[in-house]
Amino acid sequence: MLATILKSVVRQIRRHPLYVGLNVFGLALGIGVFLTLALLVRYEYGFNAALPDVDRLVRVDTRWSLPGTAPGEYAGSTFHALSFLREDFPEIETAARLENTGLSTVREGNFTAFVSGLTDPSFFRVFGLKLLHGAPDEALARPDGLVLSERAAIRLFGTTDVMGRTVPVNRDGVTVNHTVTGVLARKTTPDFLSDIEMLAPFASSDLTRSCFVAWGSDCGRLYLKLRRPGDIVSVNARMRDFVIRHAAGADSDANALGMHPEKVFGLSLAPLRGARFRDFHVLYADDGVDRTVINSIGLMGLLALALACANAINLATARAGLRAREVAIRKTLGASRKVLFVQFMGEAMLVAVIAGVLGLALCEILVPEVASLTGEALVVRYGLVGVLLPLIVVACGFASGVYPSMVLSGYRPAAVLAAARMPSGGRGAARLRDALVTGQFGIAVTIVICMLVINHQTDFMRTADPGYVRSGLLIGSAMPGNDLAAQRRMLDALRAVPGVVAAGFGELAPSPDNKTRSTYTYDGPSGPVHVHLLQDIVSTSYFEVYRPRLLAGRWFDTARGLDDMPARDETRTRTAGAVLNASAVSRFGFASPAEALGKVIGTGGITARIIGVIDDVRFESPRQAIYPEIIFFDTLSKRPFVDPIPAVRFQGVVESDMARRLNRAWAGVLPDVASDFSAVDARMAAYYSGDERRGRIFTLGAVAALLIACMGLYGLAAFAAARRVHEIGIRKTLGATGRQIVTLLLGDFLRPVVVACLLACPIAWVVMRRWLAGFDERIALTPAHFLIAVAGAVAIAILTVLGQTFHLARAEPARALRAE
Amino acid sequence: MLIDLSHIQRLYRSDEVETTALLDIHLGIEAGEFVAIMGPSGCGKSTLLNILGTIDRPTSGSYSFGGQELTELGEAALAAFRRENLGYVFQSFNLIDELTIEENIELALIYRRMPKAERRHRVAHAMDHVGIAHRARHYPSQLSGGQQQRAAIARAIVGEPRLILADEPTGNLDTENGAQVMDILQRLNDEGATIVMVTHSPSHADLAKRRVDMLDGQVVISVRNAI
Ligand SMILES: Nc1ncnc2c1ncn2[C@@H]1O[C@H](COP(=O)(O)OP(=O)(O)OP(=O)(O)O)[C@@H](O)[C@H]1O
Ligand SMILES: [Mg+2]
Repeated sequence: MLATILKSVVRQIRRHPLYVGLNVFGLALGIGVFLTLALLVRYEYGFNAALPDVDRLVRVDTRWSLPGTAPGEYAGSTFHALSFLREDFPEIETAARLENTGLSTVREGNFTAFVSGLTDPSFFRVFGLKLLHGAPDEALARPDGLVLSERAAIRLFGTTDVMGRTVPVNRDGVTVNHTVTGVLARKTTPDFLSDIEMLAPFASSDLTRSCFVAWGSDCGRLYLKLRRPGDIVSVNARMRDFVIRHAAGADSDANALGMHPEKVFGLSLAPLRGARFRDFHVLYADDGVDRTVINSIGLMGLLALALACANAINLATARAGLRAREVAIRKTLGASRKVLFVQFMGEAMLVAVIAGVLGLALCEILVPEVASLTGEALVVRYGLVGVLLPLIVVACGFASGVYPSMVLSGYRPAAVLAAARMPSGGRGAARLRDALVTGQFGIAVTIVICMLVINHQTDFMRTADPGYVRSGLLIGSAMPGNDLAAQRRMLDALRAVPGVVAAGFGELAPSPDNKTRSTYTYDGPSGPVHVHLLQDIVSTSYFEVYRPRLLAGRWFDTARGLDDMPARDETRTRTAGAVLNASAVSRFGFASPAEALGKVIGTGGITARIIGVIDDVRFESPRQAIYPEIIFFDTLSKRPFVDPIPAVRFQGVVESDMARRLNRAWAGVLPDVASDFSAVDARMAAYYSGDERRGRIFTLGAVAALLIACMGLYGLAAFAAARRVHEIGIRKTLGATGRQIVTLLLGDFLRPVVVACLLACPIAWVVMRRWLAGFDERIALTPAHFLIAVAGAVAIAILTVLGQTFHLARAEPARALRAE
Repeated sequence: MLIDLSHIQRLYRSDEVETTALLDIHLGIEAGEFVAIMGPSGCGKSTLLNILGTIDRPTSGSYSFGGQELTELGEAALAAFRRENLGYVFQSFNLIDELTIEENIELALIYRRMPKAERRHRVAHAMDHVGIAHRARHYPSQLSGGQQQRAAIARAIVGEPRLILADEPTGNLDTENGAQVMDILQRLNDEGATIVMVTHSPSHADLAKRRVDMLDGQVVISVRNAI
């Protein structure tokens, strides 16, 4: 039997290379794309899942509900809470604090930055990560200990055998020698710690920082390992009382939140399993991924497979028609229905197996590509593939084999032989084929529309007006500390660099690390209005550097002493000039920017008179709404900045050269701190990259889907052309012109494609509207997106069909009539 | 003279061999004639008929129809010519399987931009003419050979063409059905249609007004039948 099947397949390949080729390659493409996307989806769903005891691991998150802003869930919490948590909840087995920071190594004045974290000695007990060298319990026990990832060790020393070696580690301008006390073992499963290259213990000086002692401040994340998975729910249920008990503090306690802390502040335990998706909705959790996007990618893989399967079914039923006569004659000669069924099924299975092998090869090629497109450490996992592939092959083989086998083996020979033409499988099969083409193109067009919208939106985010002038702007890293003289020297040094037009400080910059927020009150005509404002302090020249748009009033003026922010000792006695952004103006309820001018707002500590209003400036993710903001002025006459961020507007110099000159100027003032002048786009890249990467996956999926759909249409057109040669001969004999024939055939093929487009547009519209709703700043969904996709699909379909029918329509009818 | 063929030659070139289907045909046919073409298998009868029907082009020679030279016409003009002037009956019927008998017949009018009502009327009339009106809604595969051939004839005559070409219209039929078809053709001829028919049956050939014998791609004899 097997030999017969093999022989038959080989003969088919020889006689109809086009059909078999389309069938096999289409199926292989579908299988390859499906496997690849399935691996990607599994990667995302498996994120964190391989951490030991993941079901007992949680991150403590904070929920702020501040006046004038929508409540938000923030990743991480104040470290101050830890000792109280330990006291109140015996369910906590162990805990570790983790602060992401930028440690770098220094060699002869050159800085090398590492993805790094400061943490507690208990880190390894919480996460159970394996060490290649060193003991988990001791690795971070000594204050100068240092744990390196395998890769970091090789980068630094060229080997992983580095225990006891000394590494000069620079943190915020201070270099301390650390000793390597551990090397992390490489792992293949993805989790939120995968990127970490360097771990060091907190320094004793850290313990007095506000995020270690104050309830309202945080700088990192608190991870707990509970005793039982079920404890998460029970601890969470008691968290509100916990906050009420501890966060209110005594009246004199500046580090507490005051009366009724639970009204503005909440803590909750976020399980690490599934954090990948939940974190998408959590602020400042950078590795969150939109679950619907991942699901859509999975769906796209499934659809690609379904499309390919539909092709196989289509081509197989079409081809079955071509073989009907052969089957009828065989039956007349005595072949049984069962034998024929087995033969056709066997053929379909064999084709599916070949396609499966090719698909696996394609997957091997695609996975590294997708890995580099998404930036994820994706690898082919044969555990998953080994299960999926045979299933797919059997399903596809069965799906594409069952119809032809049933129909062919069920043909009544007399009917087939009596019909003058070869049957096409009847009206039912024709309708099935139409439906499949409609489905295929519907899916392909939907995906293409989504792809267009997603790519447009990501493009828009990169190029949309952020409220300041992005080009010709370079921004440095924060200057640690509050040394007034050094800050003045830094500005002077930067301004002296040739090509610099203006240089200034701000405490905020694109992609800010540190943020200060406080509640300001305006005593309006209809009672006090409280708004929680983000605070920025800027130096002279800031306006020339960023060039924000002034909506009303004026910018700060060095000549007016009252603009300058009062020194700390005079804050309670003097009003400072302040500029608001447009969001703040509308939150306070002023009718227009001009309305706000001259009004006085205050926190109780600071009092500010509004002298100007600028348009909203976007320093953070385009998904996030712009925070209402207040800006103060500091001329550096008395009052130093805290960790100011220098920014420079330059002209007439290439950006990379400029950055190099600025870094050199920085090193002249602060040789101990790594300098990194970079453009806005580079600083903000992280906000866009996730969407951009997924946009690329969508492009990949769209291309694959369209390709598969076209292969299907091409095969069908070829088949129909072959089947209709005779009919066309007759029509031409009766006086139809070549153009009429082409029109007829095009019409037949385009009908399902057009119906598909009509179905695809509303679906894509709904899906994309929902997706776009997740962005604060977004493009409008225009007909252009739809028209381009539809026109593209129709054009491709026309070309495909024309390629098949054109020569047919031109041929002499006599030849066609003979070709029986 | 309605039809005038002179020096018609038709060669078939394939990779290795060259077949001469028609060598040098001279043939004139008057309007209203009923010509039967006879000859051994492979002598070029179908080829000649195809060329008369302009569904094949001669390699060389000239073909004039009603004074118009057809070999010079382009594809679209030929399609228009066929539409207006020709009816074709094939030995193997050549009905379209996916269409009903009625739709098959209507097909000959579709390309003429005729109003639907008139098409209906003419189709019904043509079906009556050949006696298959009761089979209008059937598909070709549901009909007997004789019925299919009558449907094919109805399709050929529905446009009231000036020239009807029939390639072995009785070849696949039994005696009685064959006689019926010949009857219809004679009637059409009496009503004024010019008919050229290929046949292997001497008795059917005798029913035509003129008989042309072919051999190896050439016309050997052309005799007028006694009436
Ligand atoms: N497309 C073609 N390619 C090559 N040779 C052809 C082709 N069509 C016809 N011929 C050859 O031309 C010659 C004439 O063919 P034609 O079909 O006209 O014969 P015929 O007289 O109608 O025969 P029959 O009575 O069997 O129908 C034959 O030798 C045939 O083999
Ligand atoms: Mg013949």
